Amino acid sequence: MQAEDQPAQPSVIAAPREWTLPKRPSVAANIWKFTRRKPLGALGMLIVITMLAMTLGTPKASFGTPDLPSRPLGFELGKPWLARYDAEKTFRDESTGRIRRYNMPSADHILGTDKGGRDTYSRMVFAARRSLFIGLWALLFATVIGTAVGVVSAYFRGWFDTIVQRIMDSFQAFPALLILILLVSLRPPSLTVLAFGLGFVGVTSVQRIVRGVVLSTREQPFVEAARVIGATDLRTMVFHILPNIMAPIIVVFSIGLGAVILAEAALSFLVPGKVPQDPSWGIMLQQTRDHLPPDAEGYHTLAAGGAIAMSVLGFNLAGDALRDVLDPRLRVG
Amino acid sequence: MQQYILRRVLLNLLVIYFVATLVFLLLRIDTNYVVTQRAGQTQVQASGSQDSTEAAKALVRKDLGLDKPILKQYWKYLKDIAQGDLGESFQAKENVMTEIGNRLGPSLELGLLQVIVALVIAVPIGIISAIRQDSLVDYVLRFVAIAFLGIPVFVLAIFVLRGSAIWLHYTPPLTTYKDLFPFPPFETGRGVDIGTNLQIMFMPAIVGGLGTGAIIMRFLRSQMLEVMRQDYVRTAWAKGLRERVIIMRHALKNALIPVLTVVGLLLGTIVSGNVILETIFNIPGIGLWVVNAIGNLDYPVVQGVVLVVAVTLVFVNLMVDIAYAWLDPRIRYG
Repeated sequence: MQAEDQPAQPSVIAAPREWTLPKRPSVAANIWKFTRRKPLGALGMLIVITMLAMTLGTPKASFGTPDLPSRPLGFELGKPWLARYDAEKTFRDESTGRIRRYNMPSADHILGTDKGGRDTYSRMVFAARRSLFIGLWALLFATVIGTAVGVVSAYFRGWFDTIVQRIMDSFQAFPALLILILLVSLRPPSLTVLAFGLGFVGVTSVQRIVRGVVLSTREQPFVEAARVIGATDLRTMVFHILPNIMAPIIVVFSIGLGAVILAEAALSFLVPGKVPQDPSWGIMLQQTRDHLPPDAEGYHTLAAGGAIAMSVLGFNLAGDALRDVLDPRLRVG
Repeated sequence: MQQYILRRVLLNLLVIYFVATLVFLLLRIDTNYVVTQRAGQTQVQASGSQDSTEAAKALVRKDLGLDKPILKQYWKYLKDIAQGDLGESFQAKENVMTEIGNRLGPSLELGLLQVIVALVIAVPIGIISAIRQDSLVDYVLRFVAIAFLGIPVFVLAIFVLRGSAIWLHYTPPLTTYKDLFPFPPFETGRGVDIGTNLQIMFMPAIVGGLGTGAIIMRFLRSQMLEVMRQDYVRTAWAKGLRERVIIMRHALKNALIPVLTVVGLLLGTIVSGNVILETIFNIPGIGLWVVNAIGNLDYPVVQGVVLVVAVTLVFVNLMVDIAYAWLDPRIRYG
C-alpha cells in the first residue's frame, strides 16, 4: 500500500519478470521430506526394503506357472544374494566330521547353526522369500476380489448390498486362524493353497474398507456427471470410481501385508507338520521355542522371532505412514 | 428399537446359515485326501494289504457320511446342527457339543482376563496420551503401543515364558484340566484353587492383553482427541468444571462408545489368538484341543469348534451393535 502512494519511478519500465513454475521436488527431496515428517514410517520403509532385498537372487532360466516359494513370479530364483550359504547345506567339523549341531554364533555362522548343522542366518534370509511372496500373492488375491466386491456392493446398494454384506459377515465370523488350520489340514501341504487361503480370509476386511470409501465416492459430482452423459454402470465403476479410490486400496494393501505375514508365521508355528517344509520363520521359531540366548539354540529362536517381529513391525509402520500421507480419512488409531 | 433388534436377529440367522454352509463346503474341498489320510491312520493297527486299504477307506467314507449324495449330506448336516448335534469325535468317541462344553471354562476365563488386562492398560494410557497430546509422555506411550502391535503374540509369549524360566527361575505350575476347573458341573469336591489358577493364567492373559491393549489404546486416543474438540467439552471448560470431571464424565464417556465396537471385533481376534496362547502355555481350553484334533485328523471336532466359535462371534457382534445403538442415540437404526 505504501509503495503506491509514492510517486511512480520515472521512465523505467520494469523488465518483464520471468515466471517459472515451481520446480518439482526431486525424488531424493521427497524421500527426505517423508523421513523428516514420518521418522517411524521411514524406519518401516527401511525394514520393508531390507526384506525385499533379502528375497532377491539370480533368476534361473526356467519358466512356468508361478509356484511358491521357488518360482514366485513364474521364473525360478536362485540363492538370495544376501544369504551366505545354501539353505540346505549341512556343515561338519573338519577334524571330527561331526555335524555342527546348534553351534554358537561365530565368524563362519553369524547366527549359529540349527539342528541339522545348517547356517541359521542363511535360512533366515531364505525364509524372507516365503513370507513376502505368500503375503504378496495373498494380498493380491484379497485386494482384487475385495475391491471388486466392495465396489459393486456399494455401487448398487439396496438389497443386493444387504445380501453381499451378510455373506461377508459370515466370512468374518470365522476365526481366521482356525480356518487356515482347517484348510491346511484338508489338503496336501502347498504354499499356493496357503496363499489363497490367506487371501480368502483377507477379502472381508478389504471389501469393507473399499465399500465404505465407495459409498461416499459415488455421491460425488463427477460420478453424477458420468451418469448424466450416459456412462454404463461398468464404465462408471471402472473408469470413474476405481481411479479415485486407489489411495485407500494401496494403504489397505500395505497394512494387510504385515497381517498376512504374521498369519503365515503363526500358522507355521502352530502346525509345522502341515505346511511345506522349506525355511520358514514360524517353523524355525517352533523348533527351538524352549531356548533363549544363553543356550546355543537360543540364537536360532532369536533370529526367527526377531525376523517375524521386525517384518510385521516394518509393514505396520510403513502402512501407517502411507495412510497418513495418502488418505488420512482411513485413520483409526 | 425393537424392530431394529428383530431385524438384526433375523439377518444374523441368515449369517449363521451361511456360516454353516461354508463349513460344509470347506470340508468337501478335497474329500479324497481327507479319506486317504484318515484311512492311513486307522491302517496302522490293521494289516496293510490292498484289500484292507480299500475297506478302511470305505469305512471312513461311511463314518463321515460321504457315501451319500451331497444334497442328502447337506440336509442331514443342517438338520443335525439345528438340533445342536455336532457329531461324535473320532478320538474320544464323545459328543462334540459336550466336549466343547467341558473345555469352555479355561478359554472363557483366559479371554475375559485378556480383555480386562487390555482395558486396564489401555484406558488410562489412552486418556493420558490424548490429554497430553504431542508431549514426551505421549510419544513414548505411542511408540510402546506400536512396538506391542508389531511383536506377534506367539513370539512375545515364548520369550516371556522361557525368559522367566531362565532368568527368574519361575515357571507356572503344570496342572491338568480337572485341577484347574472343577466344573462342569461342579462334579469334583476339590474346589477352585484360585491361587494356582491365577498363576497359570496371569502370563498368557498379560501377553495377550498387551497386544489387544495397544490396539484399544490407539483407538481410544484418537477418539478422545476428537471428542475433546467438541463444543460440549468447550462448554464444560467454560462453565469452569474441574479437569477431572470434564475428562471422565464429558469426554471419556463419549469416547468409549466407539471403542466398544473395537472391543467387540477384537473378541474375534482373541478367540483365534487364544489358539496360540493356549498351545504355548498349555492351557486345556478349546484352542489347544482343536490344534491337537487337527493333528489327529479329527474332522468332526474341527468342524464343530469352527461352527461354535463363528456362531458365538456373530452373536457377540449383534450384542455390540445393539449396545451401541442403545448407548448412542444418534445412531440411525437402518
